Amino acid sequence: MIVGKKLALRGITLLGVLFSVLLLVVVTLGATGLSDNMLKAIVSDQLRELRTSLAQTIRDPLELEKVLEQRRNQLYDFYGLDEPWYNRLPDLIIRVLSLDLGSARNLKSFSGSSKVSDIVLERLPNTILLVTTALIISGLLGLYFGVKLAIKAGTKFDRFFSYLSSISYALPTWWLGIIFILLLAFQLRIFPPTGMYSSPPPSDNLLKFLDLLWHASLPILTLVVASIGGWIYSVRTMVLNVAQEDFVTLGRAKGLKESTIMKRYIIRVAAPPILTGLILGLAGSLGGAILTETVFGWPGMGRLYYDAILALDENVIIALTFLFTLIYIIARFILEALYMVLDPRVRY
Amino acid sequence: MFKEEIKIFLKGGSGKVGLALFTLLLALSLYVIASFPLDFGVRYWNNPSYWADYPITVPPAWYNFFSDNPKPEHKIISAEEKSFDNNLQLSFRFKQVYDDFPSFISLRLGKFTLNSLNPLTLELYLKRPDSEFILLKRQILTSSFEGNPPFNLYFDEPLRISLTADPDVSFEISSFLSRKYNFKILQTELLSKGAHVALFGKPEKDILIPLKGDYEIVVNLKLSDPKDKVGEARLILGGGVYGLMGTDSLGRDLFVGLLFGFPVALFIGAVVSFLVALIGTFNGIISGYMGGKSDTLIQRASDILANMPLLPLLIFLTFVLGQKLWLVMLILIVFGWPGLTILIRSMVLQIKSFQFIEAAQALGSTRGRIILKHIFPQTAPFVFAQMIFSVPGAILAEAALSFLGLGDPSLPTWGQILELGFRRGGIYSGYWWWILPPGILIMITAFTFLLIALALEPLVNPRLRRIK
Amino acid sequence: MMLELKDLTVNYLTDRGRLKALNKVSFSLSEGEALGVVGESGSGKTTLGLSLMRLLPKNAELLEGKAIFNGLDIFGLLEEEFRRKIRWKKISMVFQGAMNSLNPVIKVGHQVAEPLIEHENLPKPEAYRRAEEALEQVGLNRQVFHCYPHELSGGMKQRIVIAMALILSPKIVILDEPTSALDVSIQAQIINLLKKLKWELSLSFIFITHDISLASDISDRIAVVYAGEIVEIGPSEDVLLNPKHPYTKELLESIPRITLDKLPSFIAGSPPDMVDPPKGCKFHPRCPEVMDICYREEPKDFTVSKQRVRCWLYND
Ligand SMILES: Nc1ncnc2c1ncn2[C@@H]1O[C@H](COP(=O)(O)OP(=O)(O)O)[C@@H](O)[C@H]1O
Ligand code: SF4
Ligand SMILES: [Mg+2]
Repeated sequence: MIVGKKLALRGITLLGVLFSVLLLVVVTLGATGLSDNMLKAIVSDQLRELRTSLAQTIRDPLELEKVLEQRRNQLYDFYGLDEPWYNRLPDLIIRVLSLDLGSARNLKSFSGSSKVSDIVLERLPNTILLVTTALIISGLLGLYFGVKLAIKAGTKFDRFFSYLSSISYALPTWWLGIIFILLLAFQLRIFPPTGMYSSPPPSDNLLKFLDLLWHASLPILTLVVASIGGWIYSVRTMVLNVAQEDFVTLGRAKGLKESTIMKRYIIRVAAPPILTGLILGLAGSLGGAILTETVFGWPGMGRLYYDAILALDENVIIALTFLFTLIYIIARFILEALYMVLDPRVRY
Repeated sequence: MFKEEIKIFLKGGSGKVGLALFTLLLALSLYVIASFPLDFGVRYWNNPSYWADYPITVPPAWYNFFSDNPKPEHKIISAEEKSFDNNLQLSFRFKQVYDDFPSFISLRLGKFTLNSLNPLTLELYLKRPDSEFILLKRQILTSSFEGNPPFNLYFDEPLRISLTADPDVSFEISSFLSRKYNFKILQTELLSKGAHVALFGKPEKDILIPLKGDYEIVVNLKLSDPKDKVGEARLILGGGVYGLMGTDSLGRDLFVGLLFGFPVALFIGAVVSFLVALIGTFNGIISGYMGGKSDTLIQRASDILANMPLLPLLIFLTFVLGQKLWLVMLILIVFGWPGLTILIRSMVLQIKSFQFIEAAQALGSTRGRIILKHIFPQTAPFVFAQMIFSVPGAILAEAALSFLGLGDPSLPTWGQILELGFRRGGIYSGYWWWILPPGILIMITAFTFLLIALALEPLVNPRLRRIK
Repeated sequence: MMLELKDLTVNYLTDRGRLKALNKVSFSLSEGEALGVVGESGSGKTTLGLSLMRLLPKNAELLEGKAIFNGLDIFGLLEEEFRRKIRWKKISMVFQGAMNSLNPVIKVGHQVAEPLIEHENLPKPEAYRRAEEALEQVGLNRQVFHCYPHELSGGMKQRIVIAMALILSPKIVILDEPTSALDVSIQAQIINLLKKLKWELSLSFIFITHDISLASDISDRIAVVYAGEIVEIGPSEDVLLNPKHPYTKELLESIPRITLDKLPSFIAGSPPDMVDPPKGCKFHPRCPEVMDICYREEPKDFTVSKQRVRCWLYND
């Protein structure tokens, strides 16, 4: 049951992180007066609606203004706009938590809604699709090549790939994406430069899936190439560290087969720290996804970020910041739970 | 002192190459700092009028070497002055040798010193290889001033006449073509294409092709006082190529912008990584060595900060608080130190149990002295390597943020140049000179520090092992 | 003789040049005998053990030497053959630092049983049963079988590593500093265990330690190693009571003893740099009895009473 306790502890820390991010977000919004503006915008939206509906029953403009004024005061009271901003923090936190952030300025969801939660949630699966696929591919490749390099540590082959992987680390993800578009989409015309589906998308389900795959290839390739260098290098280092441990020599001395040594004495032992690397790399992957989506016009939350920045749409940006943190924390929690399964030292 | 270390550092290729690249980066940065004004970003880079005479989105001049169809170079021609009676004649002569038209033609007159406020008459003539002087435009320049002569006119902002976009010029040149070649082209059509096509073209079948040969453009100013002067007169033939690195959509010389990016990138990388190293090490040592409440506090704080996703927060904070470079750097530092602190803390916990530390404590050394004399030196090589290693991270983060359109507008960076190129559809229009170089520079800079960090590894690791 | 080692010479290739770890090391070992190998840290003891297991690191080169085990030239065997016939089956080893000798993610019982499963192709239940017996043999509870290394104390881990070394009933066990990381009371327990095992199983030990008094406790014969050479070898009592080599004498004087009123002395000077060792006798910079020839020529082995000594003092 120690596992449960430790897991719960990690969960609490991560919740603490989420809460800190939330607090950071709402305090920034409050102190800069942005949250006031957001609320006032909501109020004037409501008043506008009220005016059009009342205009049909109340003919006297003075009377109308009076009713509206009354309503405005009620709303200000209701939203707490007559109080200083820090009194409204709990309320704001709840609104961010429930993505109840009103409507976007110009941005619309694919289905035409301009409610922030609609816009943002619609994009969520697209981002998750991109990030997880890329993460799995680069994780597996990194594992494979990292182990390969560690076995050949010190050789020319090893040094060459060490250089390659630091180049890959030095490559800005988004720039790499641009290069791929120039090269593979425009020069060689192998992949489409942007989007998630052809327009119009194929109606047949299988064809549609293939179309998606075809469109996803370049963004995924970009994410993989940009992150694989760091991967390979850290796997290599960790495998090398483990390979020098005494218990590996002892395993060999016991006459175990080289494949057994590799599997159970090196990779299995290196797995938890490698997983730690994955956990630490997660933030980078999410960041990479934001940039890659921007470059490839992939209709996920990352591209939405870019669009929201260009459109100066605070509500959407707040929602995205919160959602990205949430995804990050959930993913971390899952990985850390996995870590506890893998490493008996933490388990007991 | 560090002979052995330097030898090991330079042993592999990465140390040598990294150091060479770093020297180059540093030299370029120092050159820029010495020769560029500090407010370069505001005064020049983001001031459109400064770039008005530059060709827009053209590739670098050396592109012509690789191209089958060389584009005209950008030319700025100064005037030969003649004056008689009250006439000032500015004459610009040039030869047109390219198979392509200049991308635009414009006239810049400035620094008029006038002795009266009477209106001036400006006349513009063109002489082509196939013609006598053609009057292109006549314009009256009026001015109102208070006070006494001499009056300074067009000092801050010169008078610009874009021959390419001027309706009078279009009209005159189209009627010339129709007179001479019986070639019909409407003034409006010409305006949309740019009048330079007609000014330097002759009809072949139903299109205009460049007419090579000697040209002369004359500006005739009828002055009201013989002592009146025009201090600046230039004719600009917009090139199809420009400079070492080409230009962007505002006509800005990318070479200059890219050059300015060097010190900015190094500054970001150096300041962020240094402060991260400083704060990270300090907190790590305090937390590991002192223990107690400060340890708990630092551990909690670093645990939470290290677990926050950086880019979304960077986006949010710069968006809300403003696009300022110092703010970005501050955020990078605030979220950067915990990683190092966690590492240093665990190192210090090990070092703390070493005999010489215990001996020093027994001898009554103060805590500060033990930290400075014994603990910090043990961690220093590691901290240094980490510091170098974290430079690319800061540079890449700023570039990423700039690429999302959240760069500091008062300082041009490589990321911002790329961002504009991307936003202006650079990928689709194939503006390779705009998109490739900034990315390459970011990469080379990041790579330089990675190479150095790689070469430092053998220096750091044996110590780490010794500590284990 | 069960094991004859002759002229073993091993170098390590390092950044600074060739490190001469072992120079012409020879000894023999008979059935049921315990040979103590004593020397300062860095003198090449572990290298000696690893050589016999044919587990030298990649940067080591075995320049010279023959090891005959029951008539079989074990350095001449193919690696595969050695792995199948000798390593762990006939000669096993308890590595220095039991703390790091166990795989942290596998249950210790399985680690003990592994050689049975992989080497002898025993079915798992059978192998596990024998592993449990082995655990009991080294004085551990059967329950320990299901533990992970980090759940065990240092002494328990040491016992497990010993059980592991015994699981295939080898003839020779090389013990590399089996007690140096343990508390004194636990040290004594382990030594007693080893004595018991040696007696019960008629094992031969090569007992490597930097502590000559510990070696004397368990060994029938003692080999004193200095800078990669055996400078003196002979029956324990003789070496202890009647040391011949100046280094052995100094070593014995540096032991704190309750019965003697003399303070223990330290050996002056520091161990030699093995990349660039002193010419002639490697001990000459620290030797109180140094002579002219010692600076020039490497000493040969001389036999003095029951000992073999590598020192010019005994050149007659
Ligand atoms: N893999 C290696 N590479 C280079 N030198 C080594 C290696 N292993 C041991 N040495 C050196 O060889 C000498 C003998 O080491 P070792 O056999 O471990 O001595 P001991 O076990 O007596 O302490 C030491 O000087 C040590 O530094
Ligand atoms: S050979 Fe000479 S130096 Fe070496 S131990 Fe004997 S007396 Fe001393
Ligand atoms: Mg040893």
